[in-house]
Amino acid sequence: MPIAKISPSLLSGDFGILAAECKRMVSHGADWLHMDVMDGHFVPNITIGAPVISCLTKHLNAFLDCHMMVSHPEKWVDDFAKAGASLYCFHIEATQDASALIDQIHAAGMKAGVAVKPKTPISTVMDLGHKMDMCLVMTVEPGFGGQRFMAECMPKVKELRAKYPDLDIEVDG
Amino acid sequence: MKHYRIAPSILSADFARLGEEVRQVIDAGADWIHFDVMDNHYVPNLTVGPMVCEAIRPHATVPIDVHLMVQPTDRIASDFAKAGANIISFHPEASDHIDRTLSLIRDHGCQAGLAFNPATPLHYLDHLMDRLDLILIMSVNPGFGGQSFIPEALNKLRAVRSRIDAHTAKTGREIRLQIDGGVKLDNIAAIAAAGADTFVAGSAIFGQPDYRTVIAAMRQQLVA
Repeated sequence: MPIAKISPSLLSGDFGILAAECKRMVSHGADWLHMDVMDGHFVPNITIGAPVISCLTKHLNAFLDCHMMVSHPEKWVDDFAKAGASLYCFHIEATQDASALIDQIHAAGMKAGVAVKPKTPISTVMDLGHKMDMCLVMTVEPGFGGQRFMAECMPKVKELRAKYPDLDIEVDG
Repeated sequence: MKHYRIAPSILSADFARLGEEVRQVIDAGADWIHFDVMDNHYVPNLTVGPMVCEAIRPHATVPIDVHLMVQPTDRIASDFAKAGANIISFHPEASDHIDRTLSLIRDHGCQAGLAFNPATPLHYLDHLMDRLDLILIMSVNPGFGGQSFIPEALNKLRAVRSRIDAHTAKTGREIRLQIDGGVKLDNIAAIAAAGADTFVAGSAIFGQPDYRTVIAAMRQQLVA
């Protein structure tokens, strides 16, 4: 089983001092930094895009775990790779060919994650376990911070862990 | 004499320390802070959303002027109004119902503007001058900073300036005429002569080491 990692979400940080917030999290022990990217289409909110990640990577060298709550995730792989993202985690619901997208992400030099919304069955990603670097099981409906944890999503984590003992499985919400 | 406004665009600022950038550029003489909002759909880039506006609101002691390059418009417009925006502009092609979107913005207590892409004709202005506080003429195709000024925008500015002046003569209402895209020290005077009174500049300001010097130089160009 992989070592547990903490990835604080900057969605709850102060966007006016993003570099300082990231450094603060890292200095307090964060392993990764979770960047919530929302495009107002896949989810009903807009947060930050590649230009923000670009600016951030000029200030610090941390593992940027980019959660892409965007439609057409295949369109933005290169932008985020250039911006310095470490991991590109797209939603299974947003793409027709997850396997090809994982290849594209790897070719761009990033780790690939696949995210699953609460109502999406884990069966949709079960065959990707040997290809993806991480699976993100959402425990809230994506779009906003501060929601209630949905414990009913945890059986998905169990099922995934049973089949893939060494896969990074992330929980968000 | 016309009151010119300089509105630096955060698109070219350091997003990792935006509060500080905003304070510095206001200290250097900025009249407004221009917020370029892009949603990966209306334009091929994704920039910042309402949460970022909310985060910089305490740092901005001047109006926050939001340009929505998004489609659809209404929900995000409301979110920005709630996040502290003072002026909200959108593209007429991106709204399902232009009158409704303008009313929505004004009902939230914000000023409302319409933004025109380089090739977008001005006929949208035919029947709603009385509902506009600002008209934004794009002199680049929106999506990225650092692009070159499209000269045809000067003709557009002249045409809109005539319409605004006629409207003001008839009603007494002022409408700001804003330009955005490739505005620099070497073209700002010509742009003002064509009729613009509010100037968005991104890389021309934030790309410089000293914001105060470049803003002062821009104002000198406008007075000359």
